[in-house]
Amino acid sequence: MKVWKALTYAAITTVCCTGLYAFQRTADWGYQPETSNVKAEFAWSRLRYNSNMGSYGGYGGYGYGRGGGNWSRDYPKADRQFLIALNRLTRVNGRPTEQVVNLDTDEIFNYPWVYAVMVQTWSFTDDQAKRLREYLLKGGFLMVDDFHGTQDWENFMVGMRQVFPDRPVEDLTDKDEIFHVLYDMDDRFQVPGEQYIRTGRTYEKDGYVAKWRGIRDDHGRIVVAICHNMHLGDAWEWADDPEYPEQFASMAFRVGLNYIVYGMTH
Amino acid sequence: MVVTTGQAGCFGCMFELLFKYPITVFTKGKFVLLGAWSAWILVVLIVAALAGLGWLIWSRLQRLEPVKDVTPQMQQRRAVAIWGMQSALIALVLLLLWQPAIVVAELKSQQNIIAVLVDDSRSMAIADSGSDGKTQREASALAALQGGVLAGLQKRFQTRVYRLDGGLNRAEKTDGLQPSAAATHISAGLKQLATETGDLPVGAVVLLSDGAENSGGIDLDAITALRNRRLPVHTIGFGKEQAARDVEMEDVSVAPRAMADSRMRATVSLRQYGYAGSKATLTAKDGDKVLASKDITLAADGQVQAETVFFNAGAAGVRRVTFSLVPLNGEENAANNAIVKLVSVSGDRRRILYVEGEPRWEYKFIRRAADDDKELQIVSMLRTTENKIYRQGISDPSELADGFPDKAEDLFRYDGIIIGSVEAGYFTPRQQELLREYVDTRGGGLLFLGGRFSLADGGWGASSITELLPTFLPNAKDTFHRDPAITQLTAAGADSPVMRLIDDPAKNVERWKTLPYLMDYEDPGNPKPGATVLAEMTPQGRAKMPLLITQSYGRGRTAIMATSGSWRWQMSGALGDPTHDLFWQQLLRWVVADSPGTVVASIPEAQLMDGGHVKLTATVRDKAFVSAPDARVAAHMIGPDNSSAMVDLTPVPSTPGTFAADWTAGKPGSYVAEVTAGRGSDELGRDVLTFERQDGVAENFHTEQNRELLEKLSSETGGRYWSADQLDKLPSEISYSEAGISVRNTKELWNMPIVFLLLFGLMAGEWLTRRKWGLI
Repeated sequence: MKVWKALTYAAITTVCCTGLYAFQRTADWGYQPETSNVKAEFAWSRLRYNSNMGSYGGYGGYGYGRGGGNWSRDYPKADRQFLIALNRLTRVNGRPTEQVVNLDTDEIFNYPWVYAVMVQTWSFTDDQAKRLREYLLKGGFLMVDDFHGTQDWENFMVGMRQVFPDRPVEDLTDKDEIFHVLYDMDDRFQVPGEQYIRTGRTYEKDGYVAKWRGIRDDHGRIVVAICHNMHLGDAWEWADDPEYPEQFASMAFRVGLNYIVYGMTH
Repeated sequence: MVVTTGQAGCFGCMFELLFKYPITVFTKGKFVLLGAWSAWILVVLIVAALAGLGWLIWSRLQRLEPVKDVTPQMQQRRAVAIWGMQSALIALVLLLLWQPAIVVAELKSQQNIIAVLVDDSRSMAIADSGSDGKTQREASALAALQGGVLAGLQKRFQTRVYRLDGGLNRAEKTDGLQPSAAATHISAGLKQLATETGDLPVGAVVLLSDGAENSGGIDLDAITALRNRRLPVHTIGFGKEQAARDVEMEDVSVAPRAMADSRMRATVSLRQYGYAGSKATLTAKDGDKVLASKDITLAADGQVQAETVFFNAGAAGVRRVTFSLVPLNGEENAANNAIVKLVSVSGDRRRILYVEGEPRWEYKFIRRAADDDKELQIVSMLRTTENKIYRQGISDPSELADGFPDKAEDLFRYDGIIIGSVEAGYFTPRQQELLREYVDTRGGGLLFLGGRFSLADGGWGASSITELLPTFLPNAKDTFHRDPAITQLTAAGADSPVMRLIDDPAKNVERWKTLPYLMDYEDPGNPKPGATVLAEMTPQGRAKMPLLITQSYGRGRTAIMATSGSWRWQMSGALGDPTHDLFWQQLLRWVVADSPGTVVASIPEAQLMDGGHVKLTATVRDKAFVSAPDARVAAHMIGPDNSSAMVDLTPVPSTPGTFAADWTAGKPGSYVAEVTAGRGSDELGRDVLTFERQDGVAENFHTEQNRELLEKLSSETGGRYWSADQLDKLPSEISYSEAGISVRNTKELWNMPIVFLLLFGLMAGEWLTRRKWGLI
């Protein structure tokens, strides 16, 4: 009798734990895209980071991807659509599916190009900041996207300053090589998110003007490419929607492709 | 068999006692039979006598009664012994009947000249000769001459005394000879003697020297000249044959040209006596600055030991590197512990053309490594899309605007070429042929990388330039795998400056073992004979295969780096770890360092010893690297004290495109020769050379008596090597020579004491043994 009791308790516990775990898994992934084991030269790597939930910095639970998390905005459709463009329009050998990387292990060093969104909510532990700093100084490249207005900028810089306390953030100009490695992009304009369809506005919050910025290493090479006051991820994600204007989607693809080719040549 | 001089003397006396004539007569003379009848009759008679005797003894043997205590076998053996002795006696008597003799050429008295050559170079001033071991060699030589040799010779011949050093000069007296000349050239001196005295009856040559020859040995010309005149050279050696306590630098081998800041390797050979097993310090210095220092353990006495030293070439300019050993306690000669070598370090930036077929990480990280090297510039063309090529590192907008060059002068401008993930089919047949000419005739370096479209997977195995590759590519598809592989050095790699990440060789090998794994690998196939594998890789679950393979091809060199995943050494290494960048910089420097320019100047040896004569040669080619025999070539020579001279180089008829000039550096010091070549109003190119004239240094090396050289010289010419205590026999033995005015004398052998001894001994011995054995 006692044995049966013990076994029942064990079974219930196991079921609960599995359920919890499964809940975690599906909550993380949203819908399940088909995965791929194909090895390729370039793997689209989205950075998963700790969010500080409140916009006023610091307090609240440190969620790590629970309920999606800010790092996974537009994921995975934006990434998938972008990869289709990459593989079709360039000779980059890109893996057909995206992946997620984090700063908790050294695995990130195997993927020298990384993309992060909604970075006004990011924050790092000391180890994570150190790892990202080393990653960028050794030859890695980070592209950040989808954060708007002054408040978002300041919150973004809090995290960025954990990584690079002293390096200046510069405005990128038309003359910069990054805008000419693949497509010549002297005619850049603000790329709005999907909200444009409903609001007709290209900006969000007080981010009226698109800011193309970057942080350079000691050799003058851009290692962090900052796309402030624009939402390229949405443009990739909604590129196949008839209501989303094609010129925004095309601009967004061109920016992404230029940034990738720059990251693979500099 | 080592015979000491005492024993040799004794042996000579005994020989003459028994054989009536000195050994020289038997070695130089010819054995003849003076009898009227021919020799074969003698042979027949001997054979007949022996046979007859044998039959006689055998038949007697059958009829003998057995003796007690003697078995039949013993009986037979005894009989054979008796037969032997009796046969020997008969044969000897028969031989004597045929009047054996020796014919030997002898110089006629009073009609010949003996040339006496005395070495008066500085090495003869060393005081390690004579019976006390402390007399100056020169003094010993003069003492020997004045103490009886000259007198003995003058009894029957005229003598002429010469001073031998850099050249040959007549000396009137032997008293005034001082060992002060800067160099010794025995070969040249003997050749001069042979030709100058062509019309004089010189019967033989006596050379008093320590054998310290500065030009390295007796050359064939000198021996031939002496042999043509049948002049034997009798050599008398002075000086200790082996230093007791000395360490000497034999040679230093180092590249005469280098790129700025490159890692250079020098191989130093040294030899020591008396310090086996001790420690010594080998240093390489540029003036006062120590470039490298190495502690070594000295090998066994007399053994030539080779040590490798690595050092940095430094900034552009001429580097005067002194390789030296710190003198050890009690060293007899500390002046031979250092050798100076000149290295011409060029600051010209070398340009490498990098053709890449797809954007990939290896491309980025190789470019980054080269960006940090001021001496390298990578000019790259990358196929970003099907129709776009992204160029980086170009010097002007028109460079590579039309893609990969298809004209020789456009392609040959580069010092090296890297081919990345590009299939062979991307290049037209003309471009592929240009690639071959680039390596073969232009002398450039070509590096192939692994990748999706590289090597076997890119169809290079079936291309027309597969012979450029240092391996036999596998005959398979899918040789490129995106799977990890770990690296290790081969023995050749451990020695190579390309793979040297850390100066200490053992630590370097260990460092390579701890590198992060490669992201991918491609099977390069088997190395060709003559190719060198510097590193190997082991993919997971597969056998080891070559990773970095190099070879020379024509005037140039090719290599394969069978991976596109070495960028992991950078991304997965520690921040600030120079491994990845250092390796690529060293590999790229290897690709370009020896690529020649359009004008290449050379001299046989950058160190001129006493004399300062130098032969300057230049090969001139035009921008397409085709020989330019119609060029005008001149050299601007700048010497110490800023002295300056212009020298025109004239074409060498046998090799079009080569020009040469002879020049003499007047003073000791460093010289720079700037060679420029032009055709019409165009300049084809220029090259800079440095060399140095050093006076008085050569005599400090190889100061021990070179007995081997003296013995070889005398044996090749029919003379003999004499040590100081055998000299009383020299005047008589010297007359056995075929030179000058000589006659052939016949010396009879029948009355040699040994003949009588043999006859008597055989007879007595035979009679006594027969008595003993009871066979009489």
